[in-house]
Amino acid sequence: MSDPGIIIRFDGNGRVYRSGETLSGEYLLRSVAPEDVKAVEASVLWYTEGKGDEDLAVHEFWRRSTEDGDFIDSSRPARFTTTLPRSPLSYDGAIVKLRWCVRVRVFLRRGKEVVGQKTFRLGDVPVIRG
Amino acid sequence: MARFFRYYGKKRGDRRTGSRTLGSAGEALFFAVFLLLGCGVGTAMFLGSVLPQWRVNYEYVLHTCKVIDRRISEKQGDSGTLYRVDIEIEYEIDGQGYHEVTYDVQRAYSSGKEDKQAILDRFTVYSDEAPGPYPCWYDPEDPRKVVLVRGFSWWIWLVFIIPASFVVIGAGGLIYTWFHWGKSAERRAAIARRARQRDPFKTNGQAQRDFPGVPAGGEITNSPGTKLQFRLPISTSPGWAVFGAAMVCLLWNGIVSVFVVVVVRGHLDGEPNWFLTLFMIPFVLVGIGLIVYFIRQFLVATGVGPTTLEISDHPLHPGEQCRLLVCQSGRLDVNSLTVLLVCEEEATYRQGTNTRTETREVHRQTVLRHEDFEVRRGLPFEAECLLSVPPGAMHSFKSDHNEIGWTLLVQGDVAGWPDYQRAFPIIIRPNDGKGDA
Repeated sequence: MSDPGIIIRFDGNGRVYRSGETLSGEYLLRSVAPEDVKAVEASVLWYTEGKGDEDLAVHEFWRRSTEDGDFIDSSRPARFTTTLPRSPLSYDGAIVKLRWCVRVRVFLRRGKEVVGQKTFRLGDVPVIRG
Repeated sequence: MARFFRYYGKKRGDRRTGSRTLGSAGEALFFAVFLLLGCGVGTAMFLGSVLPQWRVNYEYVLHTCKVIDRRISEKQGDSGTLYRVDIEIEYEIDGQGYHEVTYDVQRAYSSGKEDKQAILDRFTVYSDEAPGPYPCWYDPEDPRKVVLVRGFSWWIWLVFIIPASFVVIGAGGLIYTWFHWGKSAERRAAIARRARQRDPFKTNGQAQRDFPGVPAGGEITNSPGTKLQFRLPISTSPGWAVFGAAMVCLLWNGIVSVFVVVVVRGHLDGEPNWFLTLFMIPFVLVGIGLIVYFIRQFLVATGVGPTTLEISDHPLHPGEQCRLLVCQSGRLDVNSLTVLLVCEEEATYRQGTNTRTETREVHRQTVLRHEDFEVRRGLPFEAECLLSVPPGAMHSFKSDHNEIGWTLLVQGDVAGWPDYQRAFPIIIRPNDGKGDA
């Protein structure tokens, strides 16, 4: 059996979105036995990269946990949908970069975690050269 | 054991190695030790100092006694001799006689012999001519415990600051660890976001909810202009800049001057210390530089009059135009006055135990430039222009460690005066989806 992983797909294979637009898609857990999954967290979030310490903020967050009585079927894709906010927009600066992504984190038995993420652009701010 | 804790772990993009569970357990243990230490010491202090004092004041029974002897006891402490008042008394309760050495409930040694002597002088050893018996208070549960003075010592409460700080650090740390335990960064961010959205103090306002990550900039629009809608606030007032420069200059040169005096005296006495002389040269040069900087700031603040900027609209948006009015007061022969629109990125990061901030200018555009003109006292220079925000401009952004800030910079080149620069922050909001993608 191969290593556990997560596949994330955006509807229409979109990669660039406008603020106010709907981002939707699905994620699928790969090579994960249903009885091994304790909880699944899916987030639409932005984070910073570059010279400074990382900042992160979630726009949308969903959590399903077997401890809370949720049924998690890891063999079927799970859907997500959200309306994207007006800010902050994706940015490629000289020392500050701002990225948007959908991140899925799966908590397995015995304390293991599997994380998968897929980035997308919000807005069309040009890349800063320098 | 390794089944429960991963000793080592790696996460790309995060400067953390090692098991998160083990790290959290270590944190919890560290703070638990603090909490227990604070609680233990606090309880011991309460039982040892506060409770006996309270009992003396509220439970001890008033009685009378005879003073048999009085003396000052001495003990060697770390910082010299310590003293204590010892009064030997006799008293009788229910037909049983007691003989005790006492004064107050603490029975502590302290410095200062004179005040102890003054206390001692208030008591006279019993004789037929001596004044009547002295009041004393005894413990009804154990009559051998007796004092000659009551009251509360304020310093006891002061000492409680130490265990209290341990309790606060320990409890705060445990709450923090509990909040982070087993929670992903995203889940913590979601909890923090929900807390922010409640906004009990109304500090973020509607702007933060409508445009997350964009500063609200309420302080920019709270001052009306005389000709245009808003008068922009200056980022650092020239007065504060002078004050700051003066403080740094005084502190540095005050310390350096002590060593300079030693060096100069050595040379005058014919016993020069060449090592110290050479060692001090760079420090003296920095001191001179600080004096020059202070004089420059002082001249700019006093000689160059106030600069004001007024704007017809705020916040701004990419591709938008608005009117700008610059006003320069004073009595100046100006070589050039330039207004620039500048965008700077600012990143804060930890390097070891230090926190560093780096800024990088990513956009600079001249909005207005006037050359060779005169500003007369009472007749300020005024110029109006159009400010065009670049269509692809990134909006203002601020998070804990990263910031993208837009500023209108006024640079002045004045004949006979140092050049000056004054900054006026502005907020640029995103185009609300109109120009995106």
